[in-house]
Formats: sequence, C-alpha cells, structure tokens
Amino acid sequence: MRSWLPVLRDRRRYIAFELEAEDQVKGGDLMAEIRAAQTSLFGDLGAAKNRLRMISFDGRFGLLRCRHTRTEECRVLLASVSSAGGARAAIRVRGISGSIKAATEKYIPQSILQPDENKRRVDLGPVSGSVVRVRGREIDLFPDDRKMTEGSGTRYVGLTSFDLCGEDIDADGTSDGL
Amino acid sequence: MICYEPNLHVLPEGSDSASRMALAAKKLGYSGIIITNHVNSSGPPFGLEAAGLVAGIEVAVGTEIVASDQRSLHARASSLRDRVDFLAVHGGDEKINRAACEDPNVDLLAHPHQGRSGIGVAGARAARDNQVAIALDLSLMIRLRGAARVRWMEAVRRDLGLVEKFDLDLMITTGARSHLDLRSPRDLVAMAGLLGLERDRSTEALALPKTILDLNRRRWTSVGVELL
Repeated sequence: MRSWLPVLRDRRRYIAFELEAEDQVKGGDLMAEIRAAQTSLFGDLGAAKNRLRMISFDGRFGLLRCRHTRTEECRVLLASVSSAGGARAAIRVRGISGSIKAATEKYIPQSILQPDENKRRVDLGPVSGSVVRVRGREIDLFPDDRKMTEGSGTRYVGLTSFDLCGEDIDADGTSDGL
Repeated sequence: MICYEPNLHVLPEGSDSASRMALAAKKLGYSGIIITNHVNSSGPPFGLEAAGLVAGIEVAVGTEIVASDQRSLHARASSLRDRVDFLAVHGGDEKINRAACEDPNVDLLAHPHQGRSGIGVAGARAARDNQVAIALDLSLMIRLRGAARVRWMEAVRRDLGLVEKFDLDLMITTGARSHLDLRSPRDLVAMAGLLGLERDRSTEALALPKTILDLNRRRWTSVGVELL
C-alpha cells in the first residue's frame, strides 16, 4: 500500500468488545448490523468520518478500529445494536486502546470457557425448560412455555445458578446444581 | 461512581430471573438495580431470594403502576406507597404523564415518550413541585430505526430542554426485559450525550435512584419527623 505522510496519518483507537448473543453470529452479519446502526444514527457523512473497520472477531470477542476522536460515537452505535444475524444480541465494550496489541492483551481474555452442549432439564414451578448454554453462573434456558419470553422478543430465559440451588458453588464456579 | 438501573422487568414479564438481571447488571458496572414489574403482571417477580445472593449489587423491589385514568392512578399510588420502596408509573399517554407528575407519591415517570407526547410545560412544572423524576428511557433509541426514532428523538430533545429549564430530577434507564436489553452506564452516558445531555448531568441521573431509595426507606411518622 502507498505510504502516507506520518503527520497526515489518521490516529486510531481499537475497541475491544464482547458479543452476547442467543445464537452463533458470523462476523460479516455482525459488521452489517453495526454498519446499518451507524448509517441510521449518523448518516453517510458521519459514517465516512469515522472510518470504522472490523479487525477481528472470533464469535465472542472482537476488535474494531475507529478514529481517535470518535470513540464515544462508537459506543453509542454499538449500544444501539439489538440483534445480529436474526438472533437477539448485545455488544459490550470491554475497553478502548491505541494499538491492536494493547487492546488484545488488556481486554480480550486468552482462555475462554466453551459453551455447554449437553441438554439438561430445569423444573422450578413456574419456570421449566431445557438448558441451552451454561457460562459460569449464567444459564440460558429454552422454556417449555413459549409465551414466557413474548414480552422481550428473546428466545431463551436467563437464569443463574442461584435460582437453582441457592448455594454450594464449587471452587471452579461452574457447578450449578442442575 | 454510583449507578442504579431504576426500571427493570423480570420474569414473568421479562425473560430473565431477577438474579440473572442482577448478575448481568453487576458485570456491566451497576451498583444496584430496581425491579419494577407492572402491578397487573401475572405473578410475583421470579427469583428474588436468589437475587439477594448475588454479591456486590443491591437489588431493590419497586413496582410500576398501570392506570387507565387519573383517579385510579392516584388511588393506586397512595395504596402502594407504604408497601414498596420505589414507585414508578407506566407513562406514554398524555393524561397519565400529567397525572403522574401531579402525584407526590410517585417517584418516577417511566418512558413518558413512548407515545408521541412528552411531559409538556404544565407537567414539568408539576413534576418540579412534587419532585417526580422523569425517566429518559433509551430502549426506544436502541430498538427503533428511521422515522419512528426521529420522532422519538424530537420529543426527547424538547423535554430535555424542559428538564434543564425547570431543573427536574432525571433518571436514565433502558427499561430492560432481558439481560440483552441492558447497557453499561458508560454506554448510557454516551447515548444521552448524543441526545444533548451533559456528562455531569448524566452521572447525576444515574446516581439519583439510590438517593430516592434511601429516602423512601426511612420511616417518617409525620412531615419532618423520622422514626429511628
């Protein structure tokens, strides 16, 4: 690529984010959603000023690049994403840094707990269904009664291990009394 | 920085248990949440005891009054006042917004911009006299797109001007029904900034629910006399 004069070069910030979604989301779908949110909020002109690019995305953690003066704008547009690739989702900004290396080292954890695959059942009086995903103390539940999630537009019911047994959490924080 | 989320709906109205909401809010950096299910919901909030076990976050229980006219609103507000720590009103309708502003028992007018109407000058004046806080509900900024959001933003901008003029109490909320609806306090400050709210004012607004909760939890025998 043609090199640019150092004094004229854009200063950049890298935004490390975490995606919380009900389904697997592809990087392309997510970026399309972010771009749609950006043009909807700031228009083409505002979007052109920001020069937003996705650097990496692994299904959960990702890195975005933007202009150094427009980080607050980026926070807003990432906050205004409520679904991606047809699934309900939310983007959590973990931190902003000036280089890819620093952003990765500081804000993106290197070991990730794998989502729980085996199906288990939960029965708690008013709430019953099968477990979709367990991450630490958080449990996503597919409810037997679909009406339960009607109001919020989500597919799963969110619970924690506290709801199931109340106590007896093992040292690794993953035992959940199911 | 103290940040409270004053207007959340949990199971059976939303899709999350109270403890999941608390855990998600804690991860995002809140110091407390207030669960305000509507009065006419189909059952009590699910998992409140479990929510108490989530360390590092305060979980308070309030309620959100749904009323069809002014008289039933005032009646419900006065009957619920002593039973809950936090009283919100399901706003959106012009008449209900006005009636909520005129009721000193009410703590918060939730989502007043859900319809097209805002609070208006008379409502703002009444809210100042009765110390009713106005909610800046950002869920519509997240959910709506295009012309609908433009209309919403117009109404909010107009009312933020009133809030500034009459120095009204303001709370910022997402009105979340799921942990995916929650946003971190910094995100909320940035969003409010885009709508024309200054940073100091936003941080003040995020801390206000705690002040109100503390006030409500003190027991007053009569005006100015506290039971210790």
